[in-house]
Amino acid sequence: MENIIELKDIHVSFEGEVILDHFNLNIKDKEFVTFLGPSGCGKTTTLRTIAGFIQPSQGKVLFEGKDITALPPHKRQVNTVFQRYALFPHYNVYDNIAFGLRISKTDEKEIAERVSEMLKLVNLKGFEKRNVTSLSGGQQQRVAIARALINNPKVLLLDEPLGALDLKLRKGMQTELKRIQRQMGITFIYVTHDQEEALTMSDTVVVMKDGLIQQIGTPEDIYNEPRNPFVADFIGESNIIEGLMLRDLLVKFEGVEFPCVDKGFGENKPVDVVVRPEDIEITEPKEGMLCGTVESVTFKGVHYEMMVRSENYLWKIHSITYKEIGTRVAMEIIPEYIHIMAKEV
Amino acid sequence: MGKLKNKLVAVPYYIWAVVFIVVPLLMIAYSAFTNEDGAFTFQNILQIGIYGNVLLRSLLYALIATVCCLLLGYLLAYCMAQQSERGKNILMILLMLPMWINFVLRTQAMQDILDLIQSWMEAAGISLRISNTGFAIVLGLIYNYLPFMVLPIFTSLEKLDKRVIEAAEDLGANRMQVFRKVILPLTMPGIGSGVIMVFVPTISTFVISEKLGGAKYNLIGNVIQEQFLTVYNPNVGAAISLVMLLIMLFILIIFSFLDDETKEGLL
Ligand SMILES: Nc1ncnc2c1ncn2[C@@H]1O[C@H](COP(=O)(O)OP(=O)(O)OP(=O)(O)O)[C@@H](O)[C@H]1O
Ligand SMILES: [Mg+2]
Repeated sequence: MENIIELKDIHVSFEGEVILDHFNLNIKDKEFVTFLGPSGCGKTTTLRTIAGFIQPSQGKVLFEGKDITALPPHKRQVNTVFQRYALFPHYNVYDNIAFGLRISKTDEKEIAERVSEMLKLVNLKGFEKRNVTSLSGGQQQRVAIARALINNPKVLLLDEPLGALDLKLRKGMQTELKRIQRQMGITFIYVTHDQEEALTMSDTVVVMKDGLIQQIGTPEDIYNEPRNPFVADFIGESNIIEGLMLRDLLVKFEGVEFPCVDKGFGENKPVDVVVRPEDIEITEPKEGMLCGTVESVTFKGVHYEMMVRSENYLWKIHSITYKEIGTRVAMEIIPEYIHIMAKEV
Repeated sequence: MGKLKNKLVAVPYYIWAVVFIVVPLLMIAYSAFTNEDGAFTFQNILQIGIYGNVLLRSLLYALIATVCCLLLGYLLAYCMAQQSERGKNILMILLMLPMWINFVLRTQAMQDILDLIQSWMEAAGISLRISNTGFAIVLGLIYNYLPFMVLPIFTSLEKLDKRVIEAAEDLGANRMQVFRKVILPLTMPGIGSGVIMVFVPTISTFVISEKLGGAKYNLIGNVIQEQFLTVYNPNVGAAISLVMLLIMLFILIIFSFLDDETKEGLL
């Protein structure tokens, strides 16, 4: 697959504060890419650089291999669904969606056809004459998507489009966005700080922190093979504990040796060990096993969340078996579920 | 209970409105249809015909002044809205500063300046007349009423959501299209108030035409003033006032019935 967008060595700063520095990223055609990161890490800034609202002070933005760094937003073949939609309050639903085509002087008959096509795509048939300010958040959001898609962009940028919706509506819209992306066969660049959303929808996730890319990969990669403690902690819940890589395939933490599947770290090297809460199995304590005492139990619906204290670490465990507070338990972890990360220097 | 309370709060306003608006209007209407002896007559209204020219000139001057104020004022408001907070405040003070000086004094000063320019032009052999002309009156109207156009437009520009502008750019609109399709319609309410706030006082002004027109270019305001103060025929004055009021009411009603697109078209 070819790269549709390439960011090369981008530098952006506001009033002397560096937001993006030496930022490099390639985005493949027809992919669903998600920027994931905590608030203020530069996701919107990156998106606005691609849309053309921010001129990087250094670096290049390539679109299908051509340099578009100097091109103003209205000449770029990308469209944006803005954080909080930014619909035109003086137009009704129909005129909002038709805006892009009216700008390009398409004839009204074709506009009518395309608008009704778009309304069908976002499930808003019959809403043509409605005032946009009278729509619910979810409906406004669909109008914003339809309005951005009518120009047939090759890339759609979405800045936390589901941020203002309640959980149930979010889930529904996630599936719908994914369907729209497949149906249109275009690239979606999606911004969120919700890790679950990123994992369910994306082909590729870009994890960011303080303007730096922490890791790029498929949702499975990011979840199962986090590259550093930040990613491990940000994507899902995890236990991160210091350990010692004794040799290939054998790691020791909390005084207990565990066989694992990682190798190539060297011998007797300090490492960070990541274990997901749902990957720890609670059993009867026996000699030579990692043991601890249950400190708290919280019912979470599908499972119990238990905090178990071993010698130096408080483990978070998701288990379907209930253990009373104060119970001594052993924790078993199979080699595949132990993830080793080199210590950051 | 709450409703009653709300109504009670409005009572002072109703009293004010009756005493200072409704009663004077009725008095004007009464004297417009009576003669000196208090007998009913249409004579006053019928007499207005001889001021037709003056009325047309007043309308024309007010119209030119309003259009100029709109163009100039929009540009000024737009530039102001682009500035930093500090810049906005400074420009705002500069705009308001002349308004703190007495209106008559300001107009007299303008007359003196125009006279001065006129004398320079004569010295330079240019035979163009500026002072004591209709042009001078319109200039005075624009100068005095520009702030009333700038303020409401500036306010509506400030309220404009910047992301809506970005959305339009994102959808392919160039700067001109963004202005025509987004900024202009969304600042229409400001334009509406500005037009009314300039047009209504300019059509009935008499100080500016008296000072800057050299008493040659009477406007309808001067006629009314004359009827009351020099000719001493308040019944005719009242009749003209009443007709003016109806004309303005008519214009405002038409204006408010136009939808935004027609207004845009007009502009
Ligand atoms: N126009 C601006 N002027 C000054 N600083 C800005 C501007 N826009 C963004 N910033 C700063 O740049 C940093 C990154 O902002 P950005 O909006 O890209 O974050 P984000 O990842 O989108 O966050 P969020 O999830 O909260 O939307 C922040 O520290 C922000 O304060
Ligand atoms: Mg953001």
